[in-house]
Amino acid sequence: MAETKRFGMVIDTRHCVGCQTCTISCKISNEVPGSAHWNHMESLTGDVLYQPTGTFPHPVLGFRPMLCNHCDDPACVRNCPSGAMQKDPETGIVSVDQNVCIACGYCDWVCPYGAPSMDDVNHAMSKCNFCAERAAKGEEPFCVASCPANARIFGDLNDPESEVSKLIHEHHGEQYLPEAGTSPCVFYI
Amino acid sequence: MTEYKAAQPEFFMKDGKMNRRTFIKGVGAITVASALGFATNPSVAEASKGEVPAGEGEKSVHAVCTVNCTSRCHLQGTVRDGKLIRVEPGDMPGRPGYANACLRSMSYIQRLQDENARVMYPMKRTGERGSGEFERITWDEAIDLIAEKLNAVVEQDPKNASFYSFTGDLGKMSWEAPTRFAGCLGATTWDIEGIMGDHGASMGMTMVFGTHRGAHDSRDYLNSKLLICWGRNVADTHTSELRDYVAARKNGAKVIVIDPRQCSTAAMADEWIAINPQTDPALALGMMNWIIENDLHAKDKLVEESVAPYLIREDNGRYLRMVDGKVVDSIEEDSAEEGSIGTAPAAQGAAGAGASSYVLWDELTDGAVSAPDAATIKSGAVRPALSGTFTVDGVECRTAFDHLVDSCKEYTLERTSEICGIPVETIERLSREYIEAQPAAIRMGQGMQRVYHSYSPFRTVATLAMVAGYIGVPGGGASHAGGTATNKPVAGYVGPVYDFTDWSDTGKQANLLPSSQVYNAAVNRDPVGIDFMWIANSNFINMSPNSNYIINTVLPAIDFIVTVDPWWTWTAKYSDVVLPATTYWEHWDLIDRSPWAMFNQPSIQPMGESKSDVEIMTMLAKKCGVEQYWDKTDEEWVRQFVGTDHPAWDDFDWDRDVVEQGIYGRSDAIYDSAIVYADGTGYQTDTGKFEFYTEAMLEFNDEVPTWKPPLEDPRQGELSEKYPLVFIQYHDRLNVHTQHILNPALEVVQDEPLLQMNPVDAAARGLSHGDVVHVFNDRGDMKIRLFVTEGIIPGTVATQSGWTPDYFIEGCYQNLSHLTICDAEEAYSMTNSAFYDILVEVEKA
Repeated sequence: MAETKRFGMVIDTRHCVGCQTCTISCKISNEVPGSAHWNHMESLTGDVLYQPTGTFPHPVLGFRPMLCNHCDDPACVRNCPSGAMQKDPETGIVSVDQNVCIACGYCDWVCPYGAPSMDDVNHAMSKCNFCAERAAKGEEPFCVASCPANARIFGDLNDPESEVSKLIHEHHGEQYLPEAGTSPCVFYI
Repeated sequence: MTEYKAAQPEFFMKDGKMNRRTFIKGVGAITVASALGFATNPSVAEASKGEVPAGEGEKSVHAVCTVNCTSRCHLQGTVRDGKLIRVEPGDMPGRPGYANACLRSMSYIQRLQDENARVMYPMKRTGERGSGEFERITWDEAIDLIAEKLNAVVEQDPKNASFYSFTGDLGKMSWEAPTRFAGCLGATTWDIEGIMGDHGASMGMTMVFGTHRGAHDSRDYLNSKLLICWGRNVADTHTSELRDYVAARKNGAKVIVIDPRQCSTAAMADEWIAINPQTDPALALGMMNWIIENDLHAKDKLVEESVAPYLIREDNGRYLRMVDGKVVDSIEEDSAEEGSIGTAPAAQGAAGAGASSYVLWDELTDGAVSAPDAATIKSGAVRPALSGTFTVDGVECRTAFDHLVDSCKEYTLERTSEICGIPVETIERLSREYIEAQPAAIRMGQGMQRVYHSYSPFRTVATLAMVAGYIGVPGGGASHAGGTATNKPVAGYVGPVYDFTDWSDTGKQANLLPSSQVYNAAVNRDPVGIDFMWIANSNFINMSPNSNYIINTVLPAIDFIVTVDPWWTWTAKYSDVVLPATTYWEHWDLIDRSPWAMFNQPSIQPMGESKSDVEIMTMLAKKCGVEQYWDKTDEEWVRQFVGTDHPAWDDFDWDRDVVEQGIYGRSDAIYDSAIVYADGTGYQTDTGKFEFYTEAMLEFNDEVPTWKPPLEDPRQGELSEKYPLVFIQYHDRLNVHTQHILNPALEVVQDEPLLQMNPVDAAARGLSHGDVVHVFNDRGDMKIRLFVTEGIIPGTVATQSGWTPDYFIEGCYQNLSHLTICDAEEAYSMTNSAFYDILVEVEKA
């Protein structure tokens, strides 16, 4: 049996072009129902997506691709009244059991990253699960495999030799909103 | 020689299994906790084959995306219960890390399986054109009706029947079937590159290189110290190459984007240089001027590989020509080759036919000599004079380089700055960084050539690269479109790779005309009339200039219009009969994308009663007396195409490579040279050199690169007072042309067209972000929501191309554009639609 994993992701914002292939790849390939999305895109430096900050001729155009941060101490799990939201101790993947979920929406309310997305077809919460089935086979999540800028890297944060661990170390990868206290497993360069 | 440190490109690995990137090397199964409820799949041996195997009840299928974005990605699809549910990047054998599928191709499966978006059955118009009122008819009724109309026109004059195929599906069969049918009848077909606004690049490239296209393999940018994306938004418009640009940047190359807009590519670049639209040649001239004035130009390369030392007659501006040591007035030229179906006409260089009659001044002998090839000059046998005035046989001459220098001189930093809207210090720094990079690459984009005098941008920017010495150098180049040829010659084998003999046999020849004349033909019956028009692969109204003129003047002059399309387009609504076409997931086709052969095949049942273009033409052929040329099924055609004994097919296995994989890496495939024009060879110009002096442009005072103001000039004149803003329409992440708008999943990215405007221009008009604005000129108008952004140069506004009228609050962007014949372009080959040479005004709606 493999040792305990702590799956995580590094997103290199220096190379993200905001195309949202991640958003759409996730939506289509995971057959995410209705209006739900497990990935979304935000501006890196401002409030309006695709609007750079700063002033002409030197504005800054940057993007922060968002997905579930699969936090070490996830607010969604802590606040889930039904127990539907769980963190897998062997992989660190946070997922929701739709059969248990009562669609109260607390998880969405408490998540600092807007990750849970209500499935308006099955009337239960839905969210990114790091493409757990693919991860189990050593395959990259859809969003990673499809990124045309190779801006997303997936791997095991517990393994100091993994590409993600090395990148975080070398490039001082930063968690987004660490002050929320959930210790996210997605790091941004 | 160059001192670049050669990076290690990845070579084609014929036997190397292409693997999907895994995040664990040498992967074994790992456990997913039972809490997640997923079964663990221990059979990961399959993972050594790149693509993920389909799940239970699912089937892996393959296609090549044939819309016109230049990538032609291999797609892996998944079918469940007869429906496409998923699209992922498909393996590219022999080129690890190159698999790609964009957000458009992924979400496309939603739209193509939506019966409300598709044309499901043959339909006949019942209301007024444009009313959208149609009734369903049978295929037999449709074909009978069309044949009756077509045969009547052909009987009078086949040239008055037009078959117009655009770029909606660039699969060989889909794309060429309509024009091939025109060939069978001797009817008219149209070279579309002009009207679509891509031909300026081809003209500019042809002037200097002798061919329409030519590019460094994007992996060569690992050799670059600086990479300039000039008018090229590679992130959105050639997505499959972006990984190589990112790799180049990680490797230390500085990436600069030159664009009026801070496009998506600018987000991953080190610097965005905002430039006024229509002024790219001025910037290149300004940079050349700075480089030459500082004596940093590549003198050796210029005299060896370009026409720089060639003598130009002072009396008439023509190249000095000598035969048998005597000056002659002119040389009998071979007439340009006629275009054939599927290629652009004319303007293809004649590969050095008269090369030896050109003359340069040899400093070793202090005399005029017949211009030798690059290798001879490099050997030191002659030492051409780069500059100077010489008299040969009584004829006074100067070198072509001196003419170029004269042209550059006007473009001081100050004047260039004024024209381009770029600060003086930025132009100077850019010039210095470019020449000091050693090497620096330029990737040119069609964004800079949708202007009047559209040949100028590519020609001038490429000339800059030659002056700097970067043509034919690893990590350099001035590249356009695809990569390099990647097949090794097979000794002793001269036969074709593909068998297109039957496909090319049409009995008669199509009457191929420049598309710049299509409006004129319909309205004035010049050069032909259009009494019957077959439109395929094309939302003609949406993607051609001046939609109001098309609707009000062009289409009413055409008696009968058939549109073949998967979609209920704007154009379909103005047609008399609409026929349902299949998409690339529903029919057989072939893409020759060397070193690969890529295949389409029916992966799902065709929607409704839709048929492929070939199937439709085959039905019509029976009623038009040309059925002998349409005697195969779609699959039989593809089998014949690849059924040669060329060594390329040595390892080919139909079931494995076509049916199971959808792609075949040719047996003769190799990545040997990632660059073009190495050692000064390969130019297909008449001189056999890099030809910046263009004799054909003499009568237009444009024989050397120069900058001409746009037709609709924001700097001066009455029009600029009325309409002070330049309007451009650009290709972005959501569109190629109109076929992806609006795939339902894409709504989250953007759900309506937007007008981008700099805050300075918005403030001057009292406009705010989110306002509904009225954009107008004398030709038309639109109402659209305003997107205020610092990421666009002041004085210019921009909208994403491809949106259909359904999504505008009122009007459409395309009724602001125009088709104005440019005499110089028409004389050279044909006018290019100047989609970015438009003035408008914007006010609050």
